[in-house]
Amino acid sequence: MIASALIALGLAFVFVGTIGILRFRDVYARLQASGVSDNAGLGLVLVGLVVHGGWERHDAALLLLLFLLWITNPIATHSIARSAFVRRHTGEGDDG
Amino acid sequence: MPAVEGLLSFALLLLLFRLWRGPTSWDRLLAYNSASNRAVLILAVASIALGEPVFLDVAITYAALSFLGVVILARFLEREGGFR
Repeated sequence: MIASALIALGLAFVFVGTIGILRFRDVYARLQASGVSDNAGLGLVLVGLVVHGGWERHDAALLLLLFLLWITNPIATHSIARSAFVRRHTGEGDDG
Repeated sequence: MPAVEGLLSFALLLLLFRLWRGPTSWDRLLAYNSASNRAVLILAVASIALGEPVFLDVAITYAALSFLGVVILARFLEREGGFR
């Protein structure tokens, strides 16, 4: 029950992030959509999977995966944003 | 949980549109990063649903490798393709 609610909430975050990536105006707005909502969606879905079925042996691997993603995902987002900013990309005229 | 896997696959397919028609390289890169996050989530959900803990090791390895790829490609674009 709690696991289903957490996974459903995480899926909602994932879909909000997907819509933001598809619909926003330039690179920085899309980075905002992907970087913020992906962390929440990943965390909620993986915590829901940990809660699902009580504590088992593979839940440690799920927590390790969650820890790894929460470390690496902001670094990747920051790296993309810094790469676009250093190249003086203004974001004008790239509606797509 | 096939419904969860199906919805995550649908989100990944929607992201492929941005990967195909990103106006800039950074759009493609962030779509790739986000799509690989969804792929890791699909692997984790499939591992729990099928009762195969081996898929979790695959998911951890895939997350680490896609992070390396994204950071290296971002550095590559930052240097305009040059080495330093």
